Amino acid sequence: MKLNRRIFTFATTAALTLCTSMSFAGEALDRVMAAGVLNVATDANWAPQSFINDNNEMDGFDIDVAREIAKRLSVEVEFITPSWDIITAGKWNGRWDLSVGSMTPTKSRAEVLAFPGVYYYTPASIAVHKDSPFEEVSDLNGKAIGAGTATTFELYLQHDLQIDAEGVPAFEYQLTAENKSYKDSTAAMDDLRLGDGVRLNGMVGSLPAILSAIEANYPLRVLGDPVFYEPLALAIDRGDAEFNDKLAGILADMKADGTLTALSVKWYGIDFSSTGG
Amino acid sequence: MLFADTVVPDPAVHKPKVMAIMLAASFVIFSLMGLNDTVLGEFMRPAIGEPTESGLFGNLAIGLVISMLFTGNIVLIGFLPFRIQVLVVWLELLLLFLAFFYSFGLDFAFIRSKVWFMISQGVFTTLYISAISITLASIVAIFGAVAKLSSNGFAYAIASFYTSFFRGLPLLMQVYLIYLGLPQLGYVIDAVPAGILALTLCYGAYMTEIFRAGIQSINKGQWEASRSMGFKFGLTMRRIILPQAMPLIIPPTGNQFIAMLKDSSLVSVIGVWELMFLARTLGNKDFKHMEMLITAALIYWCLTMCLEVIQSRIERHYRTISH
Repeated sequence: MKLNRRIFTFATTAALTLCTSMSFAGEALDRVMAAGVLNVATDANWAPQSFINDNNEMDGFDIDVAREIAKRLSVEVEFITPSWDIITAGKWNGRWDLSVGSMTPTKSRAEVLAFPGVYYYTPASIAVHKDSPFEEVSDLNGKAIGAGTATTFELYLQHDLQIDAEGVPAFEYQLTAENKSYKDSTAAMDDLRLGDGVRLNGMVGSLPAILSAIEANYPLRVLGDPVFYEPLALAIDRGDAEFNDKLAGILADMKADGTLTALSVKWYGIDFSSTGG
Repeated sequence: MLFADTVVPDPAVHKPKVMAIMLAASFVIFSLMGLNDTVLGEFMRPAIGEPTESGLFGNLAIGLVISMLFTGNIVLIGFLPFRIQVLVVWLELLLLFLAFFYSFGLDFAFIRSKVWFMISQGVFTTLYISAISITLASIVAIFGAVAKLSSNGFAYAIASFYTSFFRGLPLLMQVYLIYLGLPQLGYVIDAVPAGILALTLCYGAYMTEIFRAGIQSINKGQWEASRSMGFKFGLTMRRIILPQAMPLIIPPTGNQFIAMLKDSSLVSVIGVWELMFLARTLGNKDFKHMEMLITAALIYWCLTMCLEVIQSRIERHYRTISH
């Protein structure tokens, strides 16, 4: 009898714990609307998508998109800057509601996060040192290639990139190289700038980031055509279909009325919002 | 002085043989460095002609001049009294250091535009996180030390498990475990409290050992005397043991605070805008990482130097009252 009661207590506690940890539909949306604040997680080291500007405030393409979404939800926006691997790990527990962080919707990420919609596409390219002898992507086979850790660029190098989105051109793995992981793309470019083969022979990164580094006098050049096109999506925690649909609707409106195109041209000079390149 | 005695050996810098060896060695090293295409070659232009074309002769000439300056400098400093020696050597090393940073071609206007934000946001956050953590860690440490010294098996087991676990894990891992792990148990902790908790638990474990050693150093007779006067445990601790143990506990605690000030940079991974986070982030857009990293490095250094001065004052204070 005593034992039975103990088992019963244990079972109830377990059931209660399970219930509280399950997400209810509409929870995130309710939280945002009740608080009047949309908490957005972004990476602060990802110029020109999101960075700290001269006035020491968050700024960039992702930041503008997040501000626009908050405006259309009629709430205030707050930015939180945890490191990228913490964002992609999922299980946010309401610490923040939305990631506008140029995240590629891969299959493994879809297991822990939901993707309300793709808001732009960037070409991923390979950069090499200006003075290096490489002419084609295949010349880099067996060389040391850098990429930010837990990024699609690194997954591409590991031949493990599965993109789960519509409207993305097919791609193939053009090189088999030694993958070196970095905290982010900038760190890889910092090592590449030391010279060809000093620490790296090349790096995979987003074309806009590489071009802005070259503009900042990094001695790099882009090798060949983009190796794949990356769809970049909003991400939310799983389990709130209502919030998902609401965001998808807002995103469709922003595409239709040209807001995304305008923001893309503002930050990149090119419209990355629809064409896939 | 490691060991003060009355035998005063002739200092090495006054021995001609030693200085000749030093001159020869530095001549070889500086010549091999091939300095004729640096700014030093420009200084020597009247003697060696076009620096880049002077070849071996240029390298040897520059090596000779620099090694003579170097050795002469050491001989001259050797004649100065101890305190001035220390001051001059410090200044020279500092100048070399600054010249080293200066040679990076840093953008000083950029540093000036960011340094105030680094101090008002970054240093402030770093300092308050460290100060709260060290206070809480001291409280944890007192209880930990008492538990470790107690004859109660449970208390000893819990305290030794705690110190073993938190001293055994890298602090970065503790930060991640607390920030990502606690929400799995149902409590969503914010970034700053998570950082403070991690620092408190980690440093509390180290300081438990400091406090334990401090308390153990008090003579058994003190315990016996207070017991014979009818003092209970709490009163003995507060009035008799801790006041005597403090001079031994406070200096290493100051040391821990200095270490914590730098380790607090680890909480930048969970998005706290403290000094290290800003150093990594502010220069990112303009690709000016070296500027921000060096600025932050100098700020950390200044902070720890201030703390070292404060600590040596505290040590002196306790030395004078305990004698």
